[in-house]
Amino acid sequence: MAFTMRAVKVPPSSASLEEARHRVFDFFKLACRSLPKVMDIYNLDDVVTISQLRSSISAQIRKNAHITNPKVIDMLLLKGEEELSNIVEHAKQRHHIIGQYVVEQSGPHGEGSTKDPSTSQFLNNFYTSNYF
Amino acid sequence: MAAALRPAILRHLRIPAQAQSLSVDQSAPFLSSVMNRIRSMSSHDEHLTHEEVVDRVLDVVKSYPKVDPSKVTPQVHFQKDLGLDSLDTVEIVMALEEEFKLEIPDKEADKIDSCPLAIEYISNHPMAA
Repeated sequence: MAFTMRAVKVPPSSASLEEARHRVFDFFKLACRSLPKVMDIYNLDDVVTISQLRSSISAQIRKNAHITNPKVIDMLLLKGEEELSNIVEHAKQRHHIIGQYVVEQSGPHGEGSTKDPSTSQFLNNFYTSNYF
Repeated sequence: MAAALRPAILRHLRIPAQAQSLSVDQSAPFLSSVMNRIRSMSSHDEHLTHEEVVDRVLDVVKSYPKVDPSKVTPQVHFQKDLGLDSLDTVEIVMALEEEFKLEIPDKEADKIDSCPLAIEYISNHPMAA
């Protein structure tokens, strides 16, 4: 049981968007450098390659690319770092990793790969908003 | 200091290729040519050639999913020519780190934003594998 306690640091507060951007890239590099260890821990060699995992990490970062408030970016980075440390210290399990980072992410009401693709247009509109 | 001792020690241990070929020459000329090719204790054969570096860098860039492989040349700029953004640039640099088993410090990694710069950096790096 390798429980590595991360040193409790003062939570970062970026002065500017530029500094927050640097922090995002540093976090991304840290995550990429720990990918070989993740592949080894969860035995993902048959399921996915390192470059696919790297792309899914960058896709998740890109989902929040529109945010301009540095404090919000810091908060998201904090959540990301927590997620990364959970994964690296084996607090998650293989099906978590596969479901969250390997499988194509679907919309909130499952139009993705696991569900029947012939759900009706009416239902899709209903899920997205009240007015259609 | 250890780096200075190392060649001195190696010079002692290095089997001179000439002497080996002389001893085996009469019995098996084929074997001697094979043994001349395998320099088991030489530390000078691991440097990458420039073409090899260029080929591998272009392979890494071409296999990036957002890149159109036909546009990739050794002169492309990632953001200007290939239409990638800064996060894609960082991702390509990380892919290059993985391919060449390097760890590029942040200051240098920030400067790499085109193929020629990447090729130059990797060619000059002593630890590129």
